Amino acid sequence: MKGEQGHDHDHHDHEAHAESASMASRVGALIANLESKGIVSGAELDAAVEAFLVGTQRAGGPALVARAWVDPAFRGRLLADANGALAELGIDMTHWAHVKVRAVENTDRVHNVIVCTLCSCYPVALLGPSPTWYKSLAYRSRVVREPRAVLAEFGLALDPNIEVRVWDSTAELRYVVLPRRPDGTEALGEAELALLVTRDALIGTAVCRAETGPLREAVR
Amino acid sequence: MPARRGWRRALLEGSLPAMPSTHDVGGASGFGPIVREAGEPPFHHEWEARVFVLNRRLMQLGFYNLDEFRFAIERMPPEAYRASSYYEKWFLAIERLLSEKGIIR
Amino acid sequence: MQRFRAGDSVRTRAANPEGHTRLPRYLCDRRGTIEAVHGLYPLPDERALGVGVASCTKEMLYTVVFDSGEVWREGTSEPASISADLWDSYLEPEQAR
Repeated sequence: MKGEQGHDHDHHDHEAHAESASMASRVGALIANLESKGIVSGAELDAAVEAFLVGTQRAGGPALVARAWVDPAFRGRLLADANGALAELGIDMTHWAHVKVRAVENTDRVHNVIVCTLCSCYPVALLGPSPTWYKSLAYRSRVVREPRAVLAEFGLALDPNIEVRVWDSTAELRYVVLPRRPDGTEALGEAELALLVTRDALIGTAVCRAETGPLREAVR
Repeated sequence: MPARRGWRRALLEGSLPAMPSTHDVGGASGFGPIVREAGEPPFHHEWEARVFVLNRRLMQLGFYNLDEFRFAIERMPPEAYRASSYYEKWFLAIERLLSEKGIIR
Repeated sequence: MQRFRAGDSVRTRAANPEGHTRLPRYLCDRRGTIEAVHGLYPLPDERALGVGVASCTKEMLYTVVFDSGEVWREGTSEPASISADLWDSYLEPEQAR
């Protein structure tokens, strides 16, 4: 980011704004074209955007993990059949009903991390929209090659004896990490535990901690 | 289906053409650090959100399927693939598919 | 057709054909182990050409686990593995060592 010289920074912002305005215009033109052909309705699309954004606020990943932490039998069912477990909790998978979800468990011997090297498949229904870094060529190329270095960049230092398992989502299975329950949380209830479960922990680039901090990226 | 049987012969003959595989980046190097944005919104621009739901709607309506969509992105020229933002790729793929299927242009 | 079961050793095909496929290049020509069998799924290589679900070839889908040291052909003291979900035609039997 050229921040040293004011005019370069302004130029970058101006360029980005112009690009965005250009894309907005192109997208609007395509939608108008399709609308004139009776294929889609602009109003319907806008409503769909709203519905999607509202739905992401209720993404079910943290609830799933919190229940698994407090209920060992549920945890077993989750690991054996995640779709069934999701149905148990009433998590809405309408748009992804055909998708098979698999929860992979972190232990004191294994740490899991998820990627889609070929494109950027991601369990949107559970985690909300994917972060840009997950979709980046840098993450997709490096996490299979040097997972520990990538995790270290995320601030996660793993014991060298722990096996890192990288799951490349090459088909229609979607993976979610079941992070370890942090120490010192014995007194917390399910709702409070769910607040400790971050999106990055569900991807595997973070672990859950007992206290929320300013850098915690909440699942919203 | 020629795509499935022909490649075995081509493999044996050593005549496989160079595959477009800009998207197939597992293990590749040179993409720099992983840049993260704190508090990133689901979409950075409204047009991205519209592209997202448009794509979903067009697939629901049966204009193309998810694999066609991915393939359309993969068929982008390498420079365009690398230079385009994520949702820009989506938009270009949608345009390409609709054009190939005679829906637009 | 299900050619493999959990625990079987497999080798991924040597190279990818023209067109859309879901075997990443970095996993071509590598030995792995079947970790899970998921049932029949439409082959994306065909679906990408616009073939409908009904008429599309369905193949068994497997989760295959690879040792990272073998994938990148270098030894490491820090254990790591990579898994991918691969269709039957991407795989061949491999003699378990």
